[in-house]
Amino acid sequence: MLISYNWLRELTGTTSTPREFRERLTMVGLAIDAVDELEDDSILDVEVPSNRPDCLSHIGIAREVSVIEKSKFSDPQAEISNLKYKVPRTEGKASDFTSVEIKDLDLCPRYAARIVRGVKIGPSPAWLAQRLGALGQRPINNVADITNYVLHELGQPLHAFDLAKLTEQRIIVRRAKAGEQLKTLDGVERTLDAQMLVIADAKLPVALAGIMGGEASEISEATTDVLIESAYFNPDSVRRTARQLGMDTEASRRFERGADCENVLKAQTRCVELICEIAGGVATEDAIDVYPAPLPARTVDFRPAKVESITSLRVDLSEMMRILTALGFTSGESAKGNTLTFAVPSWRADVSIEEDLVEEIARHVGYEKIASELPPSNVSGEYQPTEMKQRSLRRALKDAGFDEAINFSFIDTAHDEQFELIPGLVAEANNVGFVALKNPIIDEATRMRPTLLPGLLESVRHNLNHGIRDVRLFEIGRVFAKSDTGELPNERDALALIATGGATEEGRAQATREFDFYELKGALEAGVEAMKLGPLGFAGDSIKHLREGQSAPIYLPDGTKLGSIGRLSEAIAASYKFRQPIYVAELDLTALLESRECATQYKPLPRYPSVVRDVTLLVSRDVAFQQLRNAVDSEHIADYSGTKLVGTYEGQSIPEGKRSVTLRIEYRSDERTLRDEEVEERHRALIDSLVKKFHAELH
Amino acid sequence: MTAELNFEDLKPRVNAIQEVFQQKWERFRYFVLDHSDPKFIEHLKAEWRSGDSLLDMAVEAKDELERLRIELIGKKSELAALKKDVGRIRKEQRGIAGQAVNNLDIFIGNPLRDAEDQLQRLINKLRTESERIDVTLPGRRPRRGHLHPITMLRERIEDIFVGLGYAIEDGREIETDFYNFDALNIPENHPARASQDTFYTTDGFALRSQTSTVQIHAMQRRGAPVRMIAPGRVFRRDTPDPTHNPMFFQVEGLCVDRGISMAHLKGTVAEFLRRMFGPETVTRFRPSYFPFTEPSAEFDFSCFKCGGVGCRICKNSGWIELGGSGMVHPNVLRAAGVDPDVYSGFAFGLGIDRMCNLMYGLDDIRLLFENDVRFLEQFD
Repeated sequence: MLISYNWLRELTGTTSTPREFRERLTMVGLAIDAVDELEDDSILDVEVPSNRPDCLSHIGIAREVSVIEKSKFSDPQAEISNLKYKVPRTEGKASDFTSVEIKDLDLCPRYAARIVRGVKIGPSPAWLAQRLGALGQRPINNVADITNYVLHELGQPLHAFDLAKLTEQRIIVRRAKAGEQLKTLDGVERTLDAQMLVIADAKLPVALAGIMGGEASEISEATTDVLIESAYFNPDSVRRTARQLGMDTEASRRFERGADCENVLKAQTRCVELICEIAGGVATEDAIDVYPAPLPARTVDFRPAKVESITSLRVDLSEMMRILTALGFTSGESAKGNTLTFAVPSWRADVSIEEDLVEEIARHVGYEKIASELPPSNVSGEYQPTEMKQRSLRRALKDAGFDEAINFSFIDTAHDEQFELIPGLVAEANNVGFVALKNPIIDEATRMRPTLLPGLLESVRHNLNHGIRDVRLFEIGRVFAKSDTGELPNERDALALIATGGATEEGRAQATREFDFYELKGALEAGVEAMKLGPLGFAGDSIKHLREGQSAPIYLPDGTKLGSIGRLSEAIAASYKFRQPIYVAELDLTALLESRECATQYKPLPRYPSVVRDVTLLVSRDVAFQQLRNAVDSEHIADYSGTKLVGTYEGQSIPEGKRSVTLRIEYRSDERTLRDEEVEERHRALIDSLVKKFHAELH
Repeated sequence: MTAELNFEDLKPRVNAIQEVFQQKWERFRYFVLDHSDPKFIEHLKAEWRSGDSLLDMAVEAKDELERLRIELIGKKSELAALKKDVGRIRKEQRGIAGQAVNNLDIFIGNPLRDAEDQLQRLINKLRTESERIDVTLPGRRPRRGHLHPITMLRERIEDIFVGLGYAIEDGREIETDFYNFDALNIPENHPARASQDTFYTTDGFALRSQTSTVQIHAMQRRGAPVRMIAPGRVFRRDTPDPTHNPMFFQVEGLCVDRGISMAHLKGTVAEFLRRMFGPETVTRFRPSYFPFTEPSAEFDFSCFKCGGVGCRICKNSGWIELGGSGMVHPNVLRAAGVDPDVYSGFAFGLGIDRMCNLMYGLDDIRLLFENDVRFLEQFD
């Protein structure tokens, strides 16, 4: 909202400089974004809060200034009612020349029309053109310029019609008929819908109510009689229509936020007076003012003590009264004890409760005068229950070389059927209801993501496209699916990892290695271990989006399925044009965090040395390490204390379909040092059993 | 006891040893020089051509020399036998004989030991040389990952507020209109509700446009008094550009108790900003408008870059706009089941992304969600 400093000075008699205004108005809630220094004026760009349409005018700002400066300001409105603005020459009744009918009172509670006959249309006088010019408004002709002038002065949008061009000289305020056409003043032919309010003559729409006039009834050089419209239109209706048609005008901006219904006649009088003075002509004695249901006067009960209890400011009652009165509030007698009742001025639709008045007082006393202190505290802070675990997880993954990613929550629907979703999100994997956005902002991103993987794959693609081939990312975020009950969608927190390229840091004194399945599994295990959860279980199985034979579902110790891990399937990799293997994992973090924490329990250090025996078995490739270890565990050998992997080998000298697995078996007693011979005997028995069970050969 | 010997009897043996030494010493005689003497090296190269490297030659020469030493003056050498036999010499000649044998020991032993010593030094020097490493090669270490800057800031904000006695809360990201708007005193026709500004699902639910939704749930669950902050992801329908994202992160705070006033709001926000941006930070409150607070205030803080003098970051104003705040609107308290006649409270909100931009000087906030490794690696 642009405000002319000169105009403001005329209204308030202020001596403050534009620079001082900048600071002062900002501190009462009217932030000045910029001050534009013109040759003989300064223009303040005021950021008016959306609840203060009254400040979208020079008198609105002048009123605030007068409160700040404790000065009187010459309120043109007040003076209209004092009949200072007397329309010089009047003749006849408005109803002699026109008629007004409001068909849709819900969208237009008040409409006033007044006629000025015999005007001489021409350019505006210099002072008027200059004043509008300073506010960035191009002068049009004297009558149009005057309506704009009054808009800037009093905040009431007005419109002037060429009376002769209105069919039957009638005004009908009604909703448009669906498909009805109107060419607006900007030359655009507009197609209207049945929700839009128009001003029509006996036949056709002549203006888009509260937004813009129509070309057909525009004032021209030939115009002699004008109809001045001053009305109040429903803010929601104006907003809806303006948005629908992509319009934003000085008028619509004011009506949208709420004009002053009681300002309708005053502004019209002011306008007519200026027209008679500048463009000549004779006005009608009165206006047709259709206002069947005047808005009731509003009052607010106010307890002055509330100012201190809400703001901590101590303000004298006289100062409170001064501020409220200067802002236009009028107090009746103190009705009950400590309560004052204030009548709310018609232009302050934003004020309806006591707290609103407290704010009026506080902002004019100054927020800077409010003390600054911490509230007394008798509570202790608390993190979310899983926050510390999540922090451990994030740091463990970071230590494993993963960067944390954050992607948008909405993705392309093209990914809908590609991925197996985490089990906690949907009851039945083959019957997923996806959550869709009705009004996406990014084309195609209409799906609320049911999986984090498409986002991460996109991130990998972005990095590869920028020449970065080593990428490791993890993301923790919400995933969504429809709930079975049709209520709010299911939301779960998921953890996903993705990695590709080198496993080692490049450019260092070390051999390089490519990222593989076991790197990803190790990172995930490290992350889970850092939370004292798990250990996770993995079993070979096929997963929709993963490559057969290099993928596994992930389980909690109690057997609950959490998600999956493995190498991205060829089909998906090809669709992204990935030429290097991509490894991904995704699991239900919500379920993982709800799982049981591993207790930390001290175990005495071994008192006797252990005896270690390695055994290398040649087994079929489908014999999993896990099976071998479970088999050893289940032998229940005396003094057996554990099995570790030493290594696996396949290739040269190993027959096809086989691989060699070397296990390290540890024996230890808590009572004594074991003798070699007794271990040897048990170990041999164990090996015999393994050989038999797995059709293995010793290697 | 064998018969006594005369000194004369030993002399030929002394001479014989000396002769052997002189004959074999020829090959080693330059090694009594300092090992860095060019003649030393020249000689080594000339005599031990077989070795691959100078080090090999030196090792070989030293081994050979050691064998010679053992042969000539070792425990089983002729010289050792001679020393024993000195005891059998007639008493009056024993002194001279002993002297002569000792002289021989010195005459042979000293150069042998000196040469061995010099060869060892050369070997040490060459070994050190060959095992020298380039200490400027970049150190070996595992790849290091990085936390997202939003995470780092969120954790820091949480730490500060937990320290001030606040509970951290989070809730749903898809909400009903009641929690996203109605309970926050946002009227039916408020522009924020329009589908231009808020995302809706096809089932008519809203993607939360502020985490105030969490406050309502928390008040309903915890009742009053309550102190909490809700950091989280929120959505507004902005087209992505260098200064907008349709998704961002914010923190909303709430403190409801008996006797809470704007002074407490100011004190809390100012204390937070001091802990966040440093003890010199000054906070400024300006009147503003939000439907869910009354009175409402925006807060600015003195620019952490220039200290309030004016710079690019604060657009020369010395102040940086950071967030909105105010006293919780009585309608909001009521919607959450808290009696506004008994309790009052303040609320505030600020953007984590915005803080991130300010602190790291980002020129394009889309980078926050592109996950470019070159971007992420710059933090933490």
